[in-house]
Amino acid sequence: MKKKLDKKIIIEVSDLSKSFNDNIILKNINFKLVEGESLAIIGASGSGKSVLLKNIIGLLKPDNGSIKINNTEMVNISRNAKEKILLELGITFQHGALFDSLKNWENIIFKIANKEKINNQQGKKLAISIIKQLGLQPNILDLYPSEISGGMQKRVAIARAICGSPKILLFDEPTSGLDPVTGSLIDELIKTAVKTIGGSAITITHDMASVCRIADKVILIDKQTISWSGTPQEMFRSKNPKIQEFVKPINPKEFFK
Amino acid sequence: MLNFFLKFFGSIGKKFINFVAGIGHFFIFFSSAITWMFKSPWYFKKISQQILDIGYFSLPVVGLTTFFSGMVLALQTYNGFTEFNSETTVARVVLTSITRELGPVLTGLMVAGRIGAKMAAEIATMRVTEQIDALGTLGTRPMQYLIAPKIIASLICIPLLVLIGNTIGILGGYVIAVYKLNFNASLYLIATIEYLHLIDVIQGTVKAAVFGLIISMISCYFGYNATKGAEGVGFATTASVVISSVLILTSTYIITALFFG
Repeated sequence: MKKKLDKKIIIEVSDLSKSFNDNIILKNINFKLVEGESLAIIGASGSGKSVLLKNIIGLLKPDNGSIKINNTEMVNISRNAKEKILLELGITFQHGALFDSLKNWENIIFKIANKEKINNQQGKKLAISIIKQLGLQPNILDLYPSEISGGMQKRVAIARAICGSPKILLFDEPTSGLDPVTGSLIDELIKTAVKTIGGSAITITHDMASVCRIADKVILIDKQTISWSGTPQEMFRSKNPKIQEFVKPINPKEFFK
Repeated sequence: MLNFFLKFFGSIGKKFINFVAGIGHFFIFFSSAITWMFKSPWYFKKISQQILDIGYFSLPVVGLTTFFSGMVLALQTYNGFTEFNSETTVARVVLTSITRELGPVLTGLMVAGRIGAKMAAEIATMRVTEQIDALGTLGTRPMQYLIAPKIIASLICIPLLVLIGNTIGILGGYVIAVYKLNFNASLYLIATIEYLHLIDVIQGTVKAAVFGLIISMISCYFGYNATKGAEGVGFATTASVVISSVLILTSTYIITALFFG
């Protein structure tokens, strides 16, 4: 317990609230992500999970509250400082958000290519080394995102997020639309990224099998606020009716001893 | 009754405030885009892609439009001035109309339809599919990476397109005058050169640069601020073409008045 307290806080969200016009989406959200931790955020569609993620990365401004990444306050931060912080993050969006005017390999190395000069050969080599971990074939690299399947696009988006080995990973539904085999491959990758490079991850997902595989901690967003938090194992013992709904189709023996 | 008036004036007031806010929003976007045009890094690959798209691929449509306009102008002028010394009059009217008005305006309208719509649709699609959000998280400034290259390329290409369009339009007039109306080719050419004034060309080029700014700014603005998915992309495209066209026709009068008024 003491060891856990000593861990560095990577992301700290305090009293965050967000509404659009009169529609309250999030109210008094509080949580911490510590170094080496994988946090899963679950909740029904439209519960505000993606809105929370967009607040964290500065695409939306919270009505009130504070968001700290590596102890730097993100709300009302200058543009330059925010850009520096964002460069340390690997982010995937719900629908991939790949640049459709660029080839897949250009998408994957986009961030690196902006920081340092690398030629096409080096770029493709780097992209190949990343997509291999995601079960993709190198022949997709010279294609455009519109020329590959939705599942492949999702994996290219993940490849773009993990390119450059960022220490903080934020995934918005990384396994949605993927077959179970590829889904577990992505889960394994997230787990590896967190455990081997000492990274931290927040994953927004509906996939409870994925939650059981990757998460150290789970939070449930329901009725605009965090209505439950705990470990994946605790989910199965929880009396929270929403949590029970979520874990009903899952057999815990498949994931936990 | 009082409630009705309150609601009526309230809705008018709200629309007026939204309109003024929209103009303010546009000018913030405008000044931001201009600022980013002068800040490094410049994405030369993006600029050259845009130059190819706006300049080179617009040449056929601009060439055809101005060529036929020159032809029509020669024919109509001849019909109108048939009793006078037509050879010089036709040459003069074709030259002045093309260089001062028709060349820049037709080119502007064609480019607004072809490129303005494309710019707005491209940026709006990027907005609604979160690609612009993604750009911001990957260490790139969307204004600098997406918008500035389009404005720079428009400012370079549209004046060049107008100069080429002017030449093709004058050629169209020459073809009709010489091959259909049987004018003396040498006399027609001499008259054309004699009436070619530098101020007309300068004014046409200034107009073209202003149109370039209007088309790229309006299209990028509507694209960048698109919402509501596919419907938003459609709205951005239509609004950018309509507003660019209206502003082209409005500003051509203002520039003409400034030069010759």
